[in-house]
Amino acid sequence: MAKIGVFVCHCGENIAAKVDCTKLVAAMEGHPGVAIAHEYKYFCSEPGQESIKKAVAEYGLTGVIVAACSPRMHEATFRTACAEAGLNPYLCEIANIREQCSWVHNDGEQATRKAIEITRSLVEKVKRNNELQPIEVPVTRRALVIGGGIAGIQAALDIANAGGEVVLVEREASLGGHMAQLSETFPTLDCSQCIMTPRMVEAARHPKIRLLTYSEIEKVEGFIGNFNVTVRQKARFVDMNLCTGCGECMQKCPAKKISGEFDCGLANRTAIYTPFAQAVPNKPVIDSEHCIFFKNGKCKACQRVCPTDAINFEMEDELVELEIGAIVVATGFQVQNTALYGEYGYGRYPDVLTGLQFERLASASGPTGGKITRPSDGKEPETIVFIQCAGSRDPSKGIAYCSKICCMYTAKHAMLYRHKNHDGNSRIFYMDIRAAGKGYDEFTRRAIEEDGAGYVRGRVSKLWQENGKLMVRGADTLLGRPVEVAADMVVLATAMVPQPDSKELGKTLGIGYDEYGFFNEAHLKLRPVETATAGIFLAGACQSPKDIPDSVAQASACASKVLALFSRDKLEREPVIAQNNEATCSGCWGCVLACPYNAIEKKDLTDRSGNLIRRVASVNAGLCQGCGTCVTFCRSNSIDLAGFTEKQIFAEVMGL
Amino acid sequence: MSIQEQYRSRAKELLGEGSVKMVIGYGVGTTATRRRPIFITSPDETDRLVLDASCRTNLAGYLLREGLLADQKSIAVFLLPDGVRALNILAAESQLATAQIVVLGFEIKGEEVKPLEGTAAGDFSAIIAERKEQRKAQPSHEMAVKLEEMTPAERFAFWEKEFSRCIKCYACRAACPMCWCRRCVVDNNQPQWVNTSSHTLGNLEWNLVRAFHLAGRCVECGNCSEACPVNIPLHLLNGRMTDEVLTAFDHYPGADEQQEPVLASFRKDDPETFIL
Amino acid sequence: MSEPFEPKIVAFVCTYCTYAGADLAGTSRLKYPPNVRIVRLPCTGRISPMFILKAFQKGADGVLVSGCHPGDCHFDHGNYHARRRWTAFNALLQFTGVPEERVKFSWISAAEGIKFAELIDSITEEIRTAGPFEQYHKLIAETGSAASV
Repeated sequence: MAKIGVFVCHCGENIAAKVDCTKLVAAMEGHPGVAIAHEYKYFCSEPGQESIKKAVAEYGLTGVIVAACSPRMHEATFRTACAEAGLNPYLCEIANIREQCSWVHNDGEQATRKAIEITRSLVEKVKRNNELQPIEVPVTRRALVIGGGIAGIQAALDIANAGGEVVLVEREASLGGHMAQLSETFPTLDCSQCIMTPRMVEAARHPKIRLLTYSEIEKVEGFIGNFNVTVRQKARFVDMNLCTGCGECMQKCPAKKISGEFDCGLANRTAIYTPFAQAVPNKPVIDSEHCIFFKNGKCKACQRVCPTDAINFEMEDELVELEIGAIVVATGFQVQNTALYGEYGYGRYPDVLTGLQFERLASASGPTGGKITRPSDGKEPETIVFIQCAGSRDPSKGIAYCSKICCMYTAKHAMLYRHKNHDGNSRIFYMDIRAAGKGYDEFTRRAIEEDGAGYVRGRVSKLWQENGKLMVRGADTLLGRPVEVAADMVVLATAMVPQPDSKELGKTLGIGYDEYGFFNEAHLKLRPVETATAGIFLAGACQSPKDIPDSVAQASACASKVLALFSRDKLEREPVIAQNNEATCSGCWGCVLACPYNAIEKKDLTDRSGNLIRRVASVNAGLCQGCGTCVTFCRSNSIDLAGFTEKQIFAEVMGL
Repeated sequence: MSIQEQYRSRAKELLGEGSVKMVIGYGVGTTATRRRPIFITSPDETDRLVLDASCRTNLAGYLLREGLLADQKSIAVFLLPDGVRALNILAAESQLATAQIVVLGFEIKGEEVKPLEGTAAGDFSAIIAERKEQRKAQPSHEMAVKLEEMTPAERFAFWEKEFSRCIKCYACRAACPMCWCRRCVVDNNQPQWVNTSSHTLGNLEWNLVRAFHLAGRCVECGNCSEACPVNIPLHLLNGRMTDEVLTAFDHYPGADEQQEPVLASFRKDDPETFIL
Repeated sequence: MSEPFEPKIVAFVCTYCTYAGADLAGTSRLKYPPNVRIVRLPCTGRISPMFILKAFQKGADGVLVSGCHPGDCHFDHGNYHARRRWTAFNALLQFTGVPEERVKFSWISAAEGIKFAELIDSITEEIRTAGPFEQYHKLIAETGSAASV
């Protein structure tokens, strides 16, 4: 027999001013199954909670309804109170008579009637509630960090330094990501390599970090604390154990004219190569697409000169299976393909560069040794035009967002140019200067006031070549007149875009992404580094355009989330999950398809001798997040959702 | 050789060589135009098979008799194109493997019965694709058009009258090749979503739920309307669902055996004009 | 009956968006008619067409089904599944003569307290104008149990 206790809270005047609580209590007292109904000024207060606990014990209540504020406010409070009184917390439900009743209606009589109906229907529901136990899942204390740029390295180091194991997976042959390509970094102008390479080395040498470079994520299964991840380690054709990184092979490789990715096409590399001189690990890989041996079966020059016999043309991709407790996604970004901007001549004119190419030109380790010269003729440019928002903030070209870093790096470029060429002129076409950040506005001011950056507010409409110059025509919207600049070089501040395959990775991981392919956080403001999938976190520009400080901060935030997870032996999860009735399931797998979390598996039902009888759906409690989409699909009513069962909802509706 | 003879000898051959253990086909019924399903396991019995323009029942559902396909042996079945679509859906919903089914396909044009080339479910994709286009172009049933022209109150009254006759015999369910749930929702009494009494409200609920459960799965074979002892035009409800999934989601039920169930899949740009 | 007709409206909403939006309407002290009763579900994906039929059986004159905007679903794509089901079920209801104003579907986010209040306002008004769902009430009466209006 149900013995339900109904506790009507006045919430001071908030409820009681509109809802006649005494009348509500009287109405509930006569309702079948209600053992007691009480009212009180503040049930959330200490004495209020105590009175509920006392009533639970005294009347041997089998269910509790607190008619009060929204369950989003105090459901946890009252469930905890019930648990402390020895009642299963899931036998407590909240009737929302404040936010959805007293606060939104003027007429007291009507509000009271509504409050009675709301409370009555929840009494009917709670009579059908079941005792539920939190689901305990073990935690594997090993993190997977995907992406070896600054964000991934920071997250990996923070986790490893706190004692957690880390597997750091990088798609390229070396750690470093985009930060390794940069010249100097705003707003302090310290050399990127100088601050980046020590971190790369530290990560590679860390006893708690296992480094898998030239590797990609193949498959992710499982759930928080218990992921099973398969990583594809691509064939390097160089035995990492034998190779000493002497570089002899790269000297001798005859395939020398391959456009180098690291230098953004401004310099060539060989077919056996390390991406850059400070690569970590500093051991080469063979690019089988361009290697002469792989193309026509002859050459093997590298193999001949290798003093340690490390070259192995037979090598194949390897699949590495990992048990993982938490995943940090730090896959970074790409710069937008500027082909969309035909009017800016990228690709047609060799001296029209992207910002990232300019970084390579300005970098001391770059193809020109840090000298800013024109790719076309090697001359020092006398005038450089920088075009901001080349792609960003232009919905007509498909990118509505601000890439966030371009204002700052363009100011930096103008400064670097002036530092290297004291007579150089720079003109910067911009829409707005967005310099929010510590020391950022001061930095752009410095570019203008000390380093002669000439800002022109307006867009560039046309760019063409004339007498060896790049003619740039635009508008100066502050002066309200057209401007034309004869430039020697043009640098486009191209938009930051997600990695081209980010959506596929999102699907592999089971995390959401936006229309562009940036990964979705669980809550933009309050849960910025978590994803909607428990145990998977986001760091750096894979979530949205970010600069280095933000990426590092977010990476450390991820590490703290991972470490909080690792601080426990077992995890407790809300038991609001689906359950299947195997007796009535026909195995049509509609639920399997509908499930957003791949949480429903196919299970064999066998007889005692092990013969297959039939196959039915089975819910993986660790993966299920409790949305109930499967329940609605199931025609035979076989799957049900604990906490929101068919019986409960039926009773709730029929109680209205 | 008549088509009936042709198919009898084909059946004889299949049973004789042992490539199928059973042929499900049509036999004579209690009236001149009534056909009843027959289940033949011996080559000597194939003379009992009838194939003429009265063979309109969709036999696909008989394949689901519990345990019938469990021994992995093959079964041949007489199927109209809509029957093949039903077979595709049963395969898509993992209720059988088409590899086990030999299709004896035929179509009826007017009063003429024509053979269809092919033996596996997948062999009939061309005619199914053709029927999809026809279905798209074809206006709905005459009565359905009339209903759409009525006011909601008139439509409600129409269905109230129709459903008031329902006696909840569940013949529609028994005849439907898509009604194979181990437990029908109406038989679940915890909770009792569908009123089982045969008052009009309960009848309305039952028929709405059945039509909804058939959305995107009904091949419009007509078994249900044919089986209904009180002549409720059930095909109108199911046809309306087919119109909807076809126009809204370009889903033609049973187009192939890889087809995802229309209500267990989605596209982000599905139409939503009715959502506020 | 001299009292003016007050419709009974049942709303099935997801807890993450529309329920939170309704809460926001409350914390913003917006006013809307007291005719609506909210049933909270984890996700629109959990809202079964059966709920709508049962609401009508309990004498509802109108039903609202509401959840997160496409792309906002806490469960990633529960609302996309819901949208397909609604499309089919809505067509079925209209085909059987349930007037369009009796069943409404909407996307209301946790930030759209105003939209929630305004929607309840407008659908209450619409159903008030349409009057009680007499045709359905008649069917209920035939079962021997009165609709609890």
